Amino acid sequence: MAEASEVLAALTRAVLEGDDRTVVVLARLALEAGLAPLETIEQGLVPGIRRAGELWEEGEYFLPELVSSAQAMKAAMELLQPALAKHGGGRELGRVVIGTVHGDIHDIGKTLVGTLLAANGFSVSDEGADVPLERFVARARELDADLVCASALLTTTMAEQRELVGALRRAGLRARVMVGGAPASQEWAREIGAQGYADNAVAAVSVARRLVASDP
Amino acid sequence: MQTTRWRPCRSRAGWWPVTPDELRGLLRERVLLLDGGMGSLLMAAGLERGRAPEWWNLEHPDRVEAAHRGYVEAGSDIVHTNTFGASPPKLQAAGLGGRCREVNALAVTIARKACGTSTLVAGDVGPTGLLLPPVGQATVEELQEAFREQVGALDAAGADLISIETMYDLREALAAVEVARATGLPVLASMTFEARKRGFFTIMGDPLPTSLAALADAGADAVGCNCSVSSSVMVGMVSEAHRSVSAPISAQPNAGQPRITPAGLVYDVTPEEFARDLVAMVEAGACFVGGCCGTTPEHIRSARVALDAAVVR
Repeated sequence: MAEASEVLAALTRAVLEGDDRTVVVLARLALEAGLAPLETIEQGLVPGIRRAGELWEEGEYFLPELVSSAQAMKAAMELLQPALAKHGGGRELGRVVIGTVHGDIHDIGKTLVGTLLAANGFSVSDEGADVPLERFVARARELDADLVCASALLTTTMAEQRELVGALRRAGLRARVMVGGAPASQEWAREIGAQGYADNAVAAVSVARRLVASDP
Repeated sequence: MQTTRWRPCRSRAGWWPVTPDELRGLLRERVLLLDGGMGSLLMAAGLERGRAPEWWNLEHPDRVEAAHRGYVEAGSDIVHTNTFGASPPKLQAAGLGGRCREVNALAVTIARKACGTSTLVAGDVGPTGLLLPPVGQATVEELQEAFREQVGALDAAGADLISIETMYDLREALAAVEVARATGLPVLASMTFEARKRGFFTIMGDPLPTSLAALADAGADAVGCNCSVSSSVMVGMVSEAHRSVSAPISAQPNAGQPRITPAGLVYDVTPEEFARDLVAMVEAGACFVGGCCGTTPEHIRSARVALDAAVVR
């Protein structure tokens, strides 16, 4: 049996390389070797996805590499999550509803943010693209969401993000709002009263952490 | 390597109708001015947010025609039909499912009406929105099927050439070129690149030089870049393209990055700066220049004046 540290390092490498088959084999090996699921996630998977994000920000990785890493991470999480629950350590960072706003069918950025949030321990409900305001509000209410993330890739649809902030407020929901997408910006978020903005998927994770940690 | 072509841009005398081969000849000997952005003009004319611009080919053909006419009067040699999102998958998502032939045919008719005989009509083809693995699950065959339907409709309605734009995945761009080539019309193939650490790449990681070379090898009559960056950045892209391919090169930059202001959406690049950069692009080897997001008839008019004033070498 390999050393625990070797398994964890191999997991990190497999996530970084987007090798979802190897990741699953290694995650199973880690469980069989008696490694705690949380340790496996935090010391094996997370450094891999974090490094992939850094490589993306540095311009070394592109969307296919980043998505492959995220998918490898997700495959391992699916295996580890039941074990995590059994250990009673299912640490959930927060509940998130995510979608691309009504009238906008751009899916990539939003899906990436959703995957990275899930990989980092958020419980994520991805509503897809072209999501009407009413559905954002209904899902946020249903799940008692901590955070609603809305993506808009068109200058014609970004106004919908403003509508969403108002609709959640009128519904009396506590969820914070994070916006993203090419035309959005920190200034735009401030102007429409959204609590968070991220200009890429990796940054979105840290913004989400900050938003769920702060008091409403 | 190509030598710099730098001729008077146009004879304003009517040059339509042209045969595909006459047009191929023009593409090789002249600097041609394309049009600028369409979406922002339609929004200014009242296009509701969330509404796909393609709807207006059916609902407000007069307003689409007025937008084209703005570019024709500004001096465009070629205008793009209002069909960037008129492939079947995009139309489906826009609530126009099953109406590909109708939307594209109307768009060509509208553009032709605005163009008269002085300006040519490029059938505009954008990405399908379907993503290939590993990012999505689409197949190249699905993409080809979608392009076949749209390009067939543009061709049947009388487009003078096919302009494939804003492609971010080389595999999808090649699928579009292959299908468009089958019409016999001249094909312009343009992808969208960003400046990254090791050069210019698409979001999928396709590098500019090899991508454009692949498109030219696949039979595109002209290759180039559009969108994503402002005109000053695109000058560098044209230089790199010029070193990599012998096919005619196109360039259609944005008017900078959009900024939200209390007065609405603002693009920073003025018509004068834009015109200066377009001339720099022609000097760097481009022979097809125009604008993308945020550019207006004012930008094109300014470019027309600058290009016409540039010295013949």
